Amino acid sequence: MFDKVLIANRGEIALRVLRACREVGIATVAVHSTADADAMHVRLADESVCIGPPPSAASYLNIPSLLSACEITGADAIHPGYGFLSENARFAEILEEHGITFIGPTSEHIRIMGDKIEAKSTARRLGIPVVPGSDGAIRNETEGLRVAKDMGFPVLVKAAAGGGGRGMKVARTPEDFELALRTARSEAKAAFGDDSVYLEKYLAKPRHIEFQVFGDGKGNAIHLGERDCSLQRRHQKILEEAPSPALNAEQRQHMGSIVAKAMQKLKYRGAGTVEFLYEDGEFYFIEMNTRLQVEHPVTEMITGLDLVIEQIRVASGSPLSLSQNEFALSGHAIECRINAENPKTFMPSPGTITYWHPPGGLGVRVDSGAYQGYRIPPYYDSLIGKLIVHGKNRNECLMRLKRCLSEFVIDGIETTIPLFSELVQNPDIANGLYDIHWLESFLQKP
Amino acid sequence: MAKEAKSRGGPDQDLIRELASLLEETGLSEIEIEREGLRVRVARQHVISATTVAPALAAVPAAAAPTPQAANEDPAKHPGCVKSPMVGTAYLAPEPGAPPFIDIGTRVAQGQTILIIEAMKTMNHIPAPKAGTVTAILVGNGHPVEFGEPLVIIE
Repeated sequence: MFDKVLIANRGEIALRVLRACREVGIATVAVHSTADADAMHVRLADESVCIGPPPSAASYLNIPSLLSACEITGADAIHPGYGFLSENARFAEILEEHGITFIGPTSEHIRIMGDKIEAKSTARRLGIPVVPGSDGAIRNETEGLRVAKDMGFPVLVKAAAGGGGRGMKVARTPEDFELALRTARSEAKAAFGDDSVYLEKYLAKPRHIEFQVFGDGKGNAIHLGERDCSLQRRHQKILEEAPSPALNAEQRQHMGSIVAKAMQKLKYRGAGTVEFLYEDGEFYFIEMNTRLQVEHPVTEMITGLDLVIEQIRVASGSPLSLSQNEFALSGHAIECRINAENPKTFMPSPGTITYWHPPGGLGVRVDSGAYQGYRIPPYYDSLIGKLIVHGKNRNECLMRLKRCLSEFVIDGIETTIPLFSELVQNPDIANGLYDIHWLESFLQKP
Repeated sequence: MAKEAKSRGGPDQDLIRELASLLEETGLSEIEIEREGLRVRVARQHVISATTVAPALAAVPAAAAPTPQAANEDPAKHPGCVKSPMVGTAYLAPEPGAPPFIDIGTRVAQGQTILIIEAMKTMNHIPAPKAGTVTAILVGNGHPVEFGEPLVIIE
C-alpha cells in the first residue's frame, strides 16, 4: 500500500480522492494553483504544494511541476482524478519511468482507448458490438459519401482525437455531407490538433448506457452494472442514474459479461467505463474511458463499493475485492451535477457562496468541495458539487431527490438546482422515458 | 524511488509551542533548531513606535506549507519580495561547502543569481529581478519550495 498519494486534481474529485486516502491511512498531498489555495481539500490535506498560477496549462496540466511536487514531498503515487491528465498516456508513461505509481491503467491502454478509431477496432476485436460505421478514418469526401450511403443516412462525422462528446457533426442527407465533413475536420484540427475523422451511423433516439468495469491488471476483471446518462445538454451529462430504467436483469447480465470478458482479455488494470448507445434492445459501443468518471457515485451507492479505494488497492497490487459472483445491485441511485450556472441560460455564475446548506438524511450524499464563504474561481469548469440520492427503488429515489432539491440552499451564486427541481416533476423523467435528445428538446420549449 | 528521506509529516505543534514560550521567557527574538531532518525557526519582530512596543505573532503552525515558518508581516506582500517561479528545492550556495550566493546586506545587480532551485535534477538559477540590497532570506538551504513562495526580499 502506498505511503503518500499526491492528488493531481481539484474541486470535488480532489476531495473525493482525499477522503479515500484518509480512510485507508495514506498520507495526502494536495497540489493546487494560486486560485485554489483556499480549496477544501487543500485545507484538509496533510501537505499542500502550490504548483502554479491559475491557468490549467501552467498548473494542473504542468507535468514538470507535478513531478517536482512528488519529489519534494516524497509521494509514491499520483491519483489523477478525471479530466486534466487522467487520460494522458504520456503522463502515465513519465510516471512509470520515474518509479511513481499512476493510479489508473497502463499508458498503453490509455493510448489505445484515447484514439477513438483504434478504440472501436479494439472493442470489435474483443467481441464488443460497435456502431456501424466507416472502417477507420475516411480519406476524402468521395469515400466518405460512399460509406455513408451504404450505411444509410443520417450519419455522424466524428473526430478520431475527440471524445467526451466533442468534435461531432451530423449529416442528415447526402446534400449535407460535404459541409458536415469540412466543418468537422476544421473543428477537429483546431480543438485536438488532428483532423482525422470517421463516420458512424446516427441513431435516432438512443439512450446513453455505460458499464463500470474494474480489472486487476493480471487478467481478472468484473463489471459493476450500468449507468444511464442519457440526460445531456450539448453532449455534457447533467443527471445520471443506476441501474438504467431501460434494462432488465438479463440484458444487464448479458452485456456486463461481454465487457468483463473483454477487459479480462485486455488484462485491463483499474477503473474503466465502456460507453454504449442503446436503441431497440441493441447496444453499440462508442468509446471507453480509462479513468474514474464523474458519475461513479451512483454505482457506489447501489453496490456498496468504494471505487476510489478500489482503484488505490488495485494500483498497489492487491486483487479485486469483489468477484463477479459476489456483485449484487441494491436499490436505485440518481446523481445531479450541480453547476454554478444560470438554470435557464447556463451562463456561468462565479462568485462567493454566501449561504450553504446541503440536504441530509438517509440515502443522501453530497460530493462537493464548496462551503459557506467559498469563492468559486472563474478559471475552471462550473461543477460545484454532486447531489446523489439512493432509495430502495426508483420511486423512493425520486421522492428523496425531490425532497433534497427543495432543501438544498446555495446563495450568492446561481445554480442549476431549479432545473433539476423541474425535471424531477416531469412525467417522462418520472417514468424513465427519455433518450439522449430529450433534454435539449425540453430546454427548447418555451 | 531512491531518494533521501525528508521528514514531511505534519507540523510538530508541541515543539513550536515550546519554542514560542522559550522565546517569551528568555526575551530572545529568534530560535532555530534542527533534528531528524526537520528544521524549525521561530522568530518575532519588535515594531518600535513612539508609544508602544508590539511583539507580533511568534509562530504559525503551517498546515499548508511544507516547512513551518515565522509569519508576522506577510513577506509575500512586500514590494521587494522575490517569489519562487517553480516547485523544487532551494539551495543557497552553488554547491555544498561553497559560500552562499547572498547574505543579508549583500548588494545585488539585476539578473545576478541569488539562489538555485533544483527541480527534477536540473539546477535553475534564480536571478534578482532588480538591483538592490538583500534584507531578508526566507528559505533555508535544502528546503522545498512551492510556486509563489517568498524566497528573498530585495530593497
